[in-house]
This record gives sequence, structure tokens and C-alpha cells, in this order.
Amino acid sequence: MNALFRPSKENFSMTVEEYAKFIEFFYRKTGIQFQENKRYYVERRIVERMEKTKSESFRDYFNLVRFQMDGQELQLLINAMTVNETYFFREDYQFQALIKGMLPSLVRGRDKRHALKIWSMPCSSGEEPYSIAIHILEFWDQADLWDIEILASDIDSKILAEARQGRYGARSVQRLPAHLLSRYFAPIGDGLYQIRDELRDSIDFTLVNIVDKLQTGRYRDMDVIFCRNLLIYFDDVARREAAEMMYEALRPGGFVCLGHSESMSRMTSLFVPRKFGDTIVYQKPSSAE
Amino acid sequence: MALVKSKSGPAAASMEPVGGDVASLLLSLSSDDARARRNAARELADHPQAAMALCDRLEHERGPSVRAVLFTSLIRLQSPDVAGRLAMHLRSDDAQLRNGAIEALQEMPDAIAPHLSDLLNDDDSDVRIFAVNILGALRFEEAPRLLTEVLRKESHINVCAAAVDALAEVGGMEAIEALEELRARFADDAFIVFAVDTAIRRIRAD
Repeated sequence: MNALFRPSKENFSMTVEEYAKFIEFFYRKTGIQFQENKRYYVERRIVERMEKTKSESFRDYFNLVRFQMDGQELQLLINAMTVNETYFFREDYQFQALIKGMLPSLVRGRDKRHALKIWSMPCSSGEEPYSIAIHILEFWDQADLWDIEILASDIDSKILAEARQGRYGARSVQRLPAHLLSRYFAPIGDGLYQIRDELRDSIDFTLVNIVDKLQTGRYRDMDVIFCRNLLIYFDDVARREAAEMMYEALRPGGFVCLGHSESMSRMTSLFVPRKFGDTIVYQKPSSAE
Repeated sequence: MALVKSKSGPAAASMEPVGGDVASLLLSLSSDDARARRNAARELADHPQAAMALCDRLEHERGPSVRAVLFTSLIRLQSPDVAGRLAMHLRSDDAQLRNGAIEALQEMPDAIAPHLSDLLNDDDSDVRIFAVNILGALRFEEAPRLLTEVLRKESHINVCAAAVDALAEVGGMEAIEALEELRARFADDAFIVFAVDTAIRRIRAD
């Protein structure tokens, strides 16, 4: 045995079979799919975790990930594999699905006295709920006919304060068309943009721990929940509980939007998949008790 | 119209009490209201003494959303007794109930471990297949050895195929010999030959 050998970024490479086996396992555990063209990305993150766990081979490390009782290393690997970059209009095909598919479906036959309620959770530094607001104001021709409440929640009070402040760098706003940038933001120097007060004041920001039943029990009668790229960080049972919490928080017929790599059908069968344009969202059955 | 803030906060108007004493939660498990049953099942996950009552409720519950919460709470309260009760649903004709039980049992390796031998030797080949499915997804170090034993002892081809499939993912070099023996035993079955070859190729890649 070569006691001096340790896998490192320089010498580590997976075989075709190892890679196939790993991505199949990772998909089954997380719903996240990596193709062959992501091999370099995947290998770099695996070798980092192998170094951290002092694993001598991929096999040692893979056994740790598969069989560790508390699943902690799997969780850390998931964290390493996911990059949470947020910016305005990120995965905007879901916002388009909101405008073109979900909202029209929700208002069909609905009494106008009942406000539409949209919950962005986790909202991080606010780019998602503000993007939702901008899409509704700009692209939904019925926006003026309805009261629309947007709630935005996160577990992190510091990031929530940033969301409330509504101040963003150029990187955050780079995908916004120029006319929307000038309509909803004011440049404040140093490459920063301040979101307009009218938009900022239209959103309710709240501190919420999604796994706290007492806190989430207050959220009811939602029509749409955006919960993107959060559940990949949870273990299987916590993911089930989170899905059940969202079921409870939604009105019958309401929708959940997950991140592009997440799949509700791997967590629970409570929801019905619906395809709107290029995206799949998950609907609480209208007949739900 | 358009964007407005809620006048009462997140849903204060519809805020429901959470919690309650165990006795009243147990009563609520039989409520006519599905939401009340779900709430009770969810809250009882914090009370280990309620585990058998949740198992009892699962026997009669027909609401899919309530069943889902019952399963989740039983995962939280997992024990060999709970796993034994859930394993009984592997015989159910109700696919939703059966699949829910399989998924729940896959989340409780220590609790299902004492039952695995019985399930793998059950008279019903479907139950044996479900046991293999559970093993294949279980965080359980003994899983590869038990699956290898299935290859050696099992006569039903579909149970063997399920075990090969599981070993392709969790098996090690120690499974190769049993896989080769199985391939020889079912040499006329193209699917088994293909599945075994795939499993061996994957295991050797480790």
C-alpha cells in the first residue's frame, strides 16, 4: 500500500464507470443531474471532499457518502455541488410561466376580493421577489385588476436586511433590460443600484425557518410558492416535511416552483406536475382536502 | 389594485393553533377534517408514545395527504416495532400505501434491519422484491452482503433481477462471484445476462 498517496486536485480522475455510478447515485439522492460535460466540475468538488475527509480513494469516499448513518457527508457533498448564485431574472422562464400559465389559471372564476398571494422562500437578498414583482407589473395584463401580495422569507436575518434595503451591484442586475433597470432602480454610485421605494415597500419580508412548524404554520392560503434551490440542502425526511409544509400553506390548486434541478416527485406524491412553457411546476390538486 | 401588502401579516387571520396535548392530538387523528388529521399526525411526531397510534391510523386512513404526513411522522419515530407495522403494508393491494411504506422503510435502516431476514424469505415473491428494493436504497453496511445472499439462495428470477439491479449500485468486489454464478444459472435469460454484466462492469470500476 502506498501510504503517501493521497488524491489531490492534480492527480484525481474518475473512470467512466465511476462517474456514471456516481452521477446516478447523486441523481437518486438529490434529483440533480450532471452530464458528461460536467465531469470536471463534479470531480473537482469530489476531490475537495475527499481531501477534507482524508479518503484514500474514490471507493473509500463513495462508501462514506453512501453508508454514513447520519448522511452528513452526503449533505456536505451536496453543498459543494451546488452554487447559490442569485441575480435578477434568474431562471426567468419560471416567471414567464407564472405570468402566462399559473396566474391565468388561478384567477379563472375567482372572486376579485380574494388577493393573490405569492411566497418567495428563501428569498435570499431579494432578487427573486423583486423579479416576481417586476414581471407581474410589466408583463401581466391583469395586474391592475387584482390585489397581489408578495411575501418574501428567509432564515438568515442578515440577508433579509439586505433584501429590505434593496441595494444591488452590477452583477445582480446584469440580466435586466436597460429600460427596466432605469424604471425600477436608481444608480447610487460605486456601481450600485437602489431599488425604487414603491417596489421595495410592496413586499413583505419575514424571517422564517422552514423547518419550524410554529413559524410556517402562519403561512396559509398561498397561491404560488417559489422555493428554488433550497430543498437540495435537506435530508430526505426534512425534504418530505418541507413539501408537506408547502402543501399545507397552499390553497387547493396552488403551485410550487422548485429550482430547475429539483423534482417534487422525488420527495412526495402530494402534488401534480404541470408543464407551463419550458418549466414544470407542481400543483396542489384542486380537490385537495 | 396590483401589488399590496397584507394588512395582517403572513396569514395571521388564518393562523391555526399548533401543538396540543397528546390525548387531544390522538383524538384529532380521527377527525372528519383532513387538515386536522394532518396537523395531529405532524404534531405527534414529537411524541414517541404515539407511534403505534399513528400505525393504527395508517391502517384506516384513505386520504393521500394524511397518509403522507403519517409516513413522515413514523420515519421520525422509527423503531423496530414501527418498521414491523409498516412492513405489513408491503402485502397491500393499495399501491399508494405500499409504495409509501417502501419509501418510509428505506429511511429507517436500524429499525428495518431486524425484519429483513423474514422479508427476504417471505413466501410471497412480491414481498421479497420489495425487500430487495428497500435494501438497495438503505444506508446499511450489510446491504451488499444480504443482496449477495439473495443471488445465491433465491430461485425467483424477478427477485434475483431486483437484487442484481441493487448490487450494480451498492455492490463491491465480493459480489462478483455470486453474480457470475447467477449469470450461469440463468444463462438463457438475456435480461439477466445483460444486467449481471452491467453490474459487474460497474463494480469493477470502483
